[in-house]
Amino acid sequence: MNKLLQINSTDVTVFIFAGIIVLALLFGFIMYFLFSYRHKQKDFQLLHQQKLQMDIQKTELEKTLRELRSAQAQLIQSEKMASLGELTAGIAHEIQNPLNFVNNFSEISNEMIVEMKEELATGNLELATEIAKDIKQNLEKINYHGRRADAIVKAMLQHSRISSGQKEPTDINKLADEYLRLAYHGLRAKDKSFNADFKTDFDESIDKINIVAQDVGRVLLNLFNNAFYSVYEKYRNMPGIQHLAEPYKPIVSVQTKKLHTPSEDGGIEITVKDNGNGIPQNIIDKIFQPFFTTKPTGEGTGLGLSLSYDIIKTHGGEIKVRSTEGEGTEFIIWLPA
Amino acid sequence: MFTDFYDSFYYSLLIAATGTCLFLFKRVQKPFRLLAILTVLTLVNELISKYVALVLHNNSIVYHFFTPVEFLLYVLIYKEFFSEKKWTRILWICFASLVLAEIFNTIFFQPLSVSNTNILLLENILLVVFSLGLFIKIRESAYYEDLLKEGIFWFNCAVLFYYAFSTLVWGFHSIKVYYLKNPPMIIYNFLLIFSGLLYTIFAFAVGINSITAKKRSRINE
Repeated sequence: MNKLLQINSTDVTVFIFAGIIVLALLFGFIMYFLFSYRHKQKDFQLLHQQKLQMDIQKTELEKTLRELRSAQAQLIQSEKMASLGELTAGIAHEIQNPLNFVNNFSEISNEMIVEMKEELATGNLELATEIAKDIKQNLEKINYHGRRADAIVKAMLQHSRISSGQKEPTDINKLADEYLRLAYHGLRAKDKSFNADFKTDFDESIDKINIVAQDVGRVLLNLFNNAFYSVYEKYRNMPGIQHLAEPYKPIVSVQTKKLHTPSEDGGIEITVKDNGNGIPQNIIDKIFQPFFTTKPTGEGTGLGLSLSYDIIKTHGGEIKVRSTEGEGTEFIIWLPA
Repeated sequence: MFTDFYDSFYYSLLIAATGTCLFLFKRVQKPFRLLAILTVLTLVNELISKYVALVLHNNSIVYHFFTPVEFLLYVLIYKEFFSEKKWTRILWICFASLVLAEIFNTIFFQPLSVSNTNILLLENILLVVFSLGLFIKIRESAYYEDLLKEGIFWFNCAVLFYYAFSTLVWGFHSIKVYYLKNPPMIIYNFLLIFSGLLYTIFAFAVGINSITAKKRSRINE
């Protein structure tokens, strides 16, 4: 205890040394801290700069995306207008037929009215009644063809309008038939040398299905146009076709089918088939990609099949392709009923 | 009143620091206002202790009361700097523990007539821990551009240096000179010099903060 109570100069020296060591250690710590802090801050600044750059890139990307979307919308509209252009000739032809009927029947009816008046003047009531009956039939035909022309014009307007996206019960057979004819007459009107045949095989048991008729019509029109284009290309490029033992007959067919069996999940199937050039296997996976086209520059936007794919997917359906090079192609659309 | 050079040195610096803190009080951020209050309270405490020493010839009682108050202010300052739930809890637990320890120590070991060196030692150790914790937080956040121009850095450095050294002094005191009637004054003189420097750096930190706070408010405007 006595020893503990005594304090000498050595103890004080020890204390001072300890104090110096503690201070030196603390000073070293602070220096190390400042050094490591600056190092870390540099990393942070770098990260901050990177973040800023990423923010700038993000903003630019968002801007580009907006522009792309706008361009996509414009392209879709252009594609629609292009297909409308292709349709115009077909539509004109389609309207021409009923108009011819209307003109002819109205002329005949006019003549018949004169005849009827004459018969009435002579008092031949029996013949006058006969003529009146025929006039009535003519008027019914005029009305029928007038309504047909009206339907064609309405369909054309509907095609050019922006899709409302509203599904409505639609007769798929009628729709396919209408667009097949429009595509055919359109191509014929555009190129007088165009030659191809078409066949339809519609399943009459199909009820009306809920679809956006305008959009599905666009899909069918696109498939028909492609099919006609393919068969005609094959026909044109076949040397000495007239001298062949079995001459090549370009043909496009459309078939609709109601799927009944449980394994087929129900729904309907539309098959568009051609006996054209077919699609090479190395590009078959790319045909639904946007801007992919095998047509010469200026003849196709490359958006047709891509849009068709999107439209069918939007309907909850599927679109598949089967093709053999040189033999033909088959597009199969499945739509839920 | 001030017996020697060391006393005069300490009190001069403390008065100057108090004046600076009071002058800049309105211009600084909350933790530095608390620091200014701590500096002012320290001066008040020192003056009271001088008076009590003159009257009673023993001023230990003053420190028994002032230590928890001083620690409370440090806790509030660190709470502001950490601004984390985890640390707030730790700080309040430490404060409660120190108050209990002070009561326990006064009853069983160092009565009011004896200097509360055990509690001072505990306070010093806790403050060193807080200071190291704050350094880690500062490093992790890397928020400040130039640390040498930040009041928080100087304040924390001062706390670390002073209380680490103070721990050594009170540790030495407890081991060697506790029972001596005339302990060697040199170690206490060192402590006085460091105390003076501590409050000077506190005032410096308050001054720096008054400048940076003004700059930041301008940027925010």
